[in-house]
Amino acid sequence: MKTLNALVAAILAATLPMAPALAQDAAPAGGEDATVQLESDVMAIVTTTDEGGVTSTKLSEPTEFTPGTKLSFGMNYANNGTEPATNVTGTNPLNPAVRLAPDADPALMVSVDGGSTFGPLATLSVATETQGTRPATHADVTHVRWTIASIAPGETGRIAFPVIIR
Amino acid sequence: MPIRSPSHSKTALWLSFAFAASLVAHPASAGGISAGTLIENTATATYEDGGTSRTVTSNTVTVRVDELLDVTVTSLNSGPISAAPGELVLTYEVTNQGNGPEAFELVANPTIGGNEFEVTVESLAIDSNGNGVYDPGVDAILASPETTPDLAADETVTVFVIVTVPDTVADEEVSDVELTASAVTGNGAPGTIFAGQGEGGGDAIAGTTTASGVAVGTLVGRVTTLDLAKSVDLLDPFGGESAVPGTLATFTLTASVVGSGTIDDLTITDAIPDGTTYAAGSLLLDAAPLTDASGDDAGEASDTDGISVDLGTVSGGATHTITFDVTID
Repeated sequence: MKTLNALVAAILAATLPMAPALAQDAAPAGGEDATVQLESDVMAIVTTTDEGGVTSTKLSEPTEFTPGTKLSFGMNYANNGTEPATNVTGTNPLNPAVRLAPDADPALMVSVDGGSTFGPLATLSVATETQGTRPATHADVTHVRWTIASIAPGETGRIAFPVIIR
Repeated sequence: MPIRSPSHSKTALWLSFAFAASLVAHPASAGGISAGTLIENTATATYEDGGTSRTVTSNTVTVRVDELLDVTVTSLNSGPISAAPGELVLTYEVTNQGNGPEAFELVANPTIGGNEFEVTVESLAIDSNGNGVYDPGVDAILASPETTPDLAADETVTVFVIVTVPDTVADEEVSDVELTASAVTGNGAPGTIFAGQGEGGGDAIAGTTTASGVAVGTLVGRVTTLDLAKSVDLLDPFGGESAVPGTLATFTLTASVVGSGTIDDLTITDAIPDGTTYAAGSLLLDAAPLTDASGDDAGEASDTDGISVDLGTVSGGATHTITFDVTID
């Protein structure tokens, strides 16, 4: 896991105790020779405050999908091959029914133009109706992108980002 | 539960199409994205494997947006309604603040603690023609249990509560009438789940409004009455007070309006008694002279038609004094 970027580290710190391993007998997607496998999941982000005032965040199986509900869109990956997978770039289009949550990692590479260009949100802007531009907000995000330099054979991990149902 | 799809989407183009379609079919309302909307999530990844570039696509995870049950009720009565005995209409607005279509059961309650008089609820009606005013015979009276039609997310309907004010109402007495609207699917503390009862087969969940709303309309008794008193003073030709031919009789009519409201089109009339003759030019209103002719001021007087003074609209608390003289024949 040493090659995971900051996004993954941040997510893992606050989420599942351990990223679940993928079923080994599942057919790999994306071609007969693909050795990297992706499995999407959706988890609920539940924030609780204990009697001492300490807040903690947990992921759990979601039971409620109402507007305003915060979810974690996750991507479990595994390299089932014998060679390292390098320059891994994952792209996740964001369903229009959700918006990226404000507590997403600021370093997360996102697009606000339908996936044409990517960058940290703070560097992006969108056109306004008056022909000017304004800084992009989390609600403008259309795609999320993540990169991993290398996934070793047998390595698994989970990448996730928080969204809120509009 | 998420709806897990085993299928593996092959191209980004297909995904883009699917997202666009779901946005058009399920526009967001103030209550959020429409209940029943399917939210799909799929990722693709590219990587290099020993120098070969490869693409892999994840499964698609689909979740269905649950139905939020939220409603607000607003009183559209601009301040307290003046209540005189008889029928009266209170107006409320019910708005579906949820994200799916929902009907709401309506309950009008006239027995609120502190009410100084109590009205009887006759019926509830929907503003069928949408003009904001109750039109008997046009606006549909609701049958029991009174329930709104299905309201789309954000849709508003105007509800009329038709009540009867009792004859015993006194001036300035106050009474409240509550209208409660509750989601037909159910209501309860925020987060209460009605499994499988949401639009599109998902759950229905009580929102922050508890899926029930209430508004209060206020009535204030406006009972205005007229007290009319008549007296006569006699002045005989000898300086005394006997009623003999030639005696001048001065009649005084005192009109007092009692109550917090007003009386409209108030006209005071009196006949000239038989055996007497009106003393021309003697008509006074609040000590100011009025002509005997009609049309030039508030009063007119003649021996045959008597006196008539048009006081118009008179507010509660006002008193007007009219005097005229006759001579005994």
